[in-house]
Amino acid sequence: MIIHKQLAAGRWYELSLTEQLANIGSEVERALDFQKRKDDRAIPAFERSLDLFDLTLADARLRGRYKEIARTREVVCDYFVGDNEYRSTQESLRRYFYPYFLAFAKNR
Amino acid sequence: MQELQQLAKSLYGEHAELVKAVIDVERCIMAIGGEMHSDEEAMLLEDGSKQQYLWGINIYPNKLKTEWIEFDSMINLRPSQHNRTRGVENLALREQITAIVGKLVEP
Repeated sequence: MIIHKQLAAGRWYELSLTEQLANIGSEVERALDFQKRKDDRAIPAFERSLDLFDLTLADARLRGRYKEIARTREVVCDYFVGDNEYRSTQESLRRYFYPYFLAFAKNR
Repeated sequence: MQELQQLAKSLYGEHAELVKAVIDVERCIMAIGGEMHSDEEAMLLEDGSKQQYLWGINIYPNKLKTEWIEFDSMINLRPSQHNRTRGVENLALREQITAIVGKLVEP
């Protein structure tokens, strides 16, 4: 599910929202795994997820659907680099993206 | 300004000190009154704003104009624009935001 960075901006807008969120979820999952192992690669993975969130928020096809995407981005930021005031856990973040992984796998 | 003070109280209670706002520095407009900065960001995106021009701040209507803007929002975390904190790292951009808010909010 990894999209090469150089292709991200072009191919991203060929993906459905489900596929985009599955890809974002992959980066979040990677960041969570690195975080669990106290590996410094957690923050670069988290930052890559933000880049993908931002591509999605620039997707004109999704007009009318930005609110939840923007909120999710904020919650992920709050968890990794904020005060975790929204009280996220590794489990709650995984649970959010899991349906998109399933839908992506089902549609392949 | 009074309107902002009342808005803060209606959103966050009688002792509220701030309102969250998102500024579009390209269109020189501002969204306020959202529960989260991302709500205001989403509203401006729906309205045609581009995310690269949107920056989140907190406005403290009871403070002096020299200290009423706090550059602190999760939506500002944008590695693609080399902004890796919740603040607004570019000084010129902070000045631009301050000027826009100054024009939009009457004392």
